[in-house]
Amino acid sequence: MKNLFKLLIVMFLINPFLNSHAQGLLKKIKQKVGQATDRAIDKKIDQSIDKSVGVSPAGNNKNSGPGNKGGAGLITVPPNVNENLKDAGASFTANNYGEARYSVQQAMLGVEMEIGKKILKELPETVAGLKKITDDDQVTSTGWGWAGLTIQRNYRENDRQLDLVIANNSVWMAAVNMYLANGGYAQTTNSQQNWKQTKFKGNRAIIEFDQSSGYKLSVPLGQTSLIVFNGINFDTESSFMNALSAFDVEGIKKTLGEK
Amino acid sequence: MKKILILLFAVSLSSNLWAQDFNKYLATARTAYSAGKLEDSRFAMEQMMQELDMTIGREVLKLLPAKMDALEQNSAADNVIGTVGFLGVMIHRDYGKNDKKAEIDIITNSPLIASINTILAIPFVGNSKDGTQKRVKIEGYKGLLQKNIDTQTNKVTYELQIPFNSTLLTFKTTDADENQVMKMASQIPISEIAKMLQ
Repeated sequence: MKNLFKLLIVMFLINPFLNSHAQGLLKKIKQKVGQATDRAIDKKIDQSIDKSVGVSPAGNNKNSGPGNKGGAGLITVPPNVNENLKDAGASFTANNYGEARYSVQQAMLGVEMEIGKKILKELPETVAGLKKITDDDQVTSTGWGWAGLTIQRNYRENDRQLDLVIANNSVWMAAVNMYLANGGYAQTTNSQQNWKQTKFKGNRAIIEFDQSSGYKLSVPLGQTSLIVFNGINFDTESSFMNALSAFDVEGIKKTLGEK
Repeated sequence: MKKILILLFAVSLSSNLWAQDFNKYLATARTAYSAGKLEDSRFAMEQMMQELDMTIGREVLKLLPAKMDALEQNSAADNVIGTVGFLGVMIHRDYGKNDKKAEIDIITNSPLIASINTILAIPFVGNSKDGTQKRVKIEGYKGLLQKNIDTQTNKVTYELQIPFNSTLLTFKTTDADENQVMKMASQIPISEIAKMLQ
């Protein structure tokens, strides 16, 4: 009896703990059941979706189709300018203006790609000991509109790199050039100065320096072109500028039809 | 009758002149390209594109109704503005006089408009609680109808915007109720315009 009485007292004392422990246990069991149910439902849903779209269940690749292993990709031949001009004329005569517009756009795309390739051909093979990366050469044209024509070339040797991007005939370039060529960039004399106005082969330009991206020279060319050089791991401003002297800016301007 | 004949003669003469310009630029583009003058060829192509845009704009004006309900068109206000590049072509026609007016403005072949259209076409740009904005359909094309009330004069104006491809058609009215606006808007041959502008 005495023992029973002791047991009752102990039970009474640990009751709250038991209650909370039991509640926690119940909660855990409930969660586990919930998770198991969710998994089972998810599996069922997945199976029915797979069945309806004709995909074999994950982990069972017996009936899956073959994955693509190769292929030569797309043929990247620029549009034929003469053909498209001929089509444009014929469509215009037939009052098919939408088609005529498309053909002119294609012809412009073709001629812009040729301009880009011509410029890349005229650029030097090596600059200050850095070799051109032929695979990085890029000409992008939208044919007409906002973006215009962009030409890209990279030179690299070990950790030193020189990139150049030429943007031409884009609508926004006219505004950018006006801003750059007319001293739109403010110049300060304190220690935070990381850009300044300069001249590159007689053209007004802006040179910038950033600790993480290196030197950058932006040169507006004529009315609608801009050339941007970016030099990584050049020791000084003069070593960067000396490297750029290898570029024939006047030749680029001439090819782009800029004055 | 004499005036109509003069007008018809002027229209046919001007369209012939425009066609001549297109063909002139086409010939220049071809010659320059053959001579390796790529930049000159491209410039001539840009001129061709502008001529085309202007021609398309004038053709769209021909498609628009001469009358919008009881409102007569104001021929003198007809306008086509072709801009080089991102703004595209702007076509304008208005109807009516004094306070009761309707206006159609079409901006086309504009990359800028293509991005605006993407926003307008999003389903959540929809009906507003206060009834000042709702989504409508004209000839199967979804559009956004907005009601504006002038706080000083209490006059109501409606603006209907219909985006398609890289074109945005805006129809504005003053002194008309919603039913009248929708009735007038249904007279705009949107399918034909879209076909012309594609």
